[in-house]
Amino acid sequence: MSKIELQNVTLNYAERNNVFTALEDISFSVKEGEFVSIIGASGCGKSSLLSLLEGLNFPTAGRVTINGDDIKGTGDDRAVVFQHYSLFPWMTTRANVVYGIKQVNKKLPKKDLGQIADDYLSKVGLSGFENKYPLQLSGGMQQRAAIARALAMSPSILLMDEPFGAVDAKNRKILQELLLELWENSEDKKTVIFVTHDIDEAILLSDRIIMMSANPGRIKKEISIPFPRPRNGSKLLESREYLNFRKEIITSFFNDISERIGGEEVAL
Amino acid sequence: MTEKIKKQLNITNALFLVFLLIQLLPERYSKETYEINIIIFVVTIQVIYLIFSFITKKEKKLETIRDILGITYFIIIAWQLMTSKSGFLNELLFPAPGIVIQQFIHDLPRIIEGIQSSLLIILEGYVLAIITAIPLGLAAGWHIRFGNSFQYVSKFFGSIPPIVYIPYAIALLPAFRDASVFVIFAASFWPILGATMAGVFNIEKKILDSAKTLNVGRLSMLFHVMLPAALPEILMGCSQGLGISFILLTSAEMIGGKTGMGYYIKYYSDFGDFTRIVVGIIVLGIVVSVITLFFNKLQRYLLRWRQ
Repeated sequence: MSKIELQNVTLNYAERNNVFTALEDISFSVKEGEFVSIIGASGCGKSSLLSLLEGLNFPTAGRVTINGDDIKGTGDDRAVVFQHYSLFPWMTTRANVVYGIKQVNKKLPKKDLGQIADDYLSKVGLSGFENKYPLQLSGGMQQRAAIARALAMSPSILLMDEPFGAVDAKNRKILQELLLELWENSEDKKTVIFVTHDIDEAILLSDRIIMMSANPGRIKKEISIPFPRPRNGSKLLESREYLNFRKEIITSFFNDISERIGGEEVAL
Repeated sequence: MTEKIKKQLNITNALFLVFLLIQLLPERYSKETYEINIIIFVVTIQVIYLIFSFITKKEKKLETIRDILGITYFIIIAWQLMTSKSGFLNELLFPAPGIVIQQFIHDLPRIIEGIQSSLLIILEGYVLAIITAIPLGLAAGWHIRFGNSFQYVSKFFGSIPPIVYIPYAIALLPAFRDASVFVIFAASFWPILGATMAGVFNIEKKILDSAKTLNVGRLSMLFHVMLPAALPEILMGCSQGLGISFILLTSAEMIGGKTGMGYYIKYYSDFGDFTRIVVGIIVLGIVVSVITLFFNKLQRYLLRWRQ
C-alpha cells in the first residue's frame, strides 16, 4: 500500500468573484520511505499541493490520503520545514526544538527534552548555538534548526516547502548534502515530499521527481532518478550520466516554460 | 591615565566650574535661600560622576550620564541666575533651588507616603487592566482575523477620553481610592486591548501555519505563540496605558483626592505656597521618569529576541 495517495485532486481558491483553479486533477502516490520532489515554476501550485498534505488546506474535489485515511488536518505523523518562519523568533534554538518535541510527546521529563534537542542540534551542526535566538543566526543556520526540530519530532513523513530557497548558493549545497546524509543514514527512512524549483537539488536528493505545469497546476511528468545511493553531490554533478539525464529533464522543462510567455525564474 | 584626564575636558565639567563661580555672586532674594543645599547637591553628584568616570569601562553609558549631568547643571545655573542671583523673577512665584531642596527634605515623609499611595492605586488599576485586556485581546484578535466588528467597538471606547468616566466612578464607588483604581483601569484597558488585537491581527500567517503544523494545542497557541508574537505591539499599548494612568491619577488627586502628589500640589497651591508646588512638580517628574525607565528596561528584556 502506498504511504501517501492523491486521487483526482482539484483545488480551487475563491478570489473575489472569480474562482481560481490552483490544482487540477492531480493523482500520484508515494511509497513509504520514498523521497519525492515536486518541481515546477513558481505559480504552478506546488506549494498549494504541499499545503494539502500539511493539512492546512483541503481539496475541492478528490482525495488525499495517508495510509489510506483522508487527511483531516495537521497531524503529528507529519513535520514541515518552510522556507521562512518555521521557527518561532522568541524562542532560542533549543527552546524551538524542545517545543516541537513537547507537542508530540507531552510526558517526557524536562531533562530528556533538552537532551534530545541537543542531540538533534548537534546532528545538524548547531552545537554551541543552542541558546541563540533565530534572528541571531544566518538563514542557513535557521533552516538547519528547522530541520533539527522536524526530525526531533520523529514524524513518518517530512514535508519540505522550498526549504533552501532563501539560502545562498554555497550554503544551499552544504544543506543539501546534510539533508541527503541525514536521510540516507537514518534507520527508519522517512517519506519525504520536497518542493523546489531547483532541478539539480531535485535530482540529487530524490528517488522520483514530479514535474508540474502551471495554470492550472497539473502534473506534467513523473521521472524516476536512476542514480544509486548513497549519493555524493560533487561526484554526481561531474558524471556524464548526470549531465545527459539533466539535459533530458531541462528539455521537457523548457517546453513548458516556452508555452507560457514570460516564464518564471527556474534555477537551471 | 592621561587619556582619562584628557577626557575630563568636557562641557559638563566646564558647567560645574561655572556653577561654582556663580556661587560667588551675592543673593538678591530677601528671604533665606539655603544656598548651601544646592552646592552640596551639585558637588556630591559631581564627585560621584568623577569617581564613576575613572573606574567605568562602559564609554557609551558614561557619555549618556555626562550629557544628562551637563543638562542638569545648565538648568540649575539658569535657575539660580534667574532667581536668587539676580532677583529677575518674582520671589514668591519662583523659589531658588536651595529652598526647594530644603522644603523637599522637610516634607520627605509626606512625599514618600504620597508617592506610595499613588503608585499602589496605579499598580492595582493597571495590573487589573493588563490581566483582563490581554487575554480578551488575544481571543478577540483571533476572531478578527476571520472578520469581525469587535475592533470598531474597541476603537469607539478607546477614543473616549477616560477622564469622563470620573462622574460614574465617583457615583458608583464613593471611596476615592476605589474610584481612582476604576478610572486607571478604564483608561489603560482600551489601549492595551486595542494593541493586543492589532498585534494578533498582524501576526505573520506563516508563523501561525508553522504552529498549526506542530499540532499546538489551543492554550499553547494562545500563550506560547500568539502572545509572544503580538508582544511588541502589546507592550506599546501597555506603555501608552501607563502614561495615561499617571496623567489621570494626578488629575483625580487634584480634583477629589486626599492623598498623592496631585493632592500635595493642589493643597499648597490653595495657600500660594509655590516652593511646595515646585517640589511637587519635580518629584512627579522624577517618579514618572524612573518608572518609564524601568518599563523600557523590562520591554527591552522581554523583546531581547528581536535583532
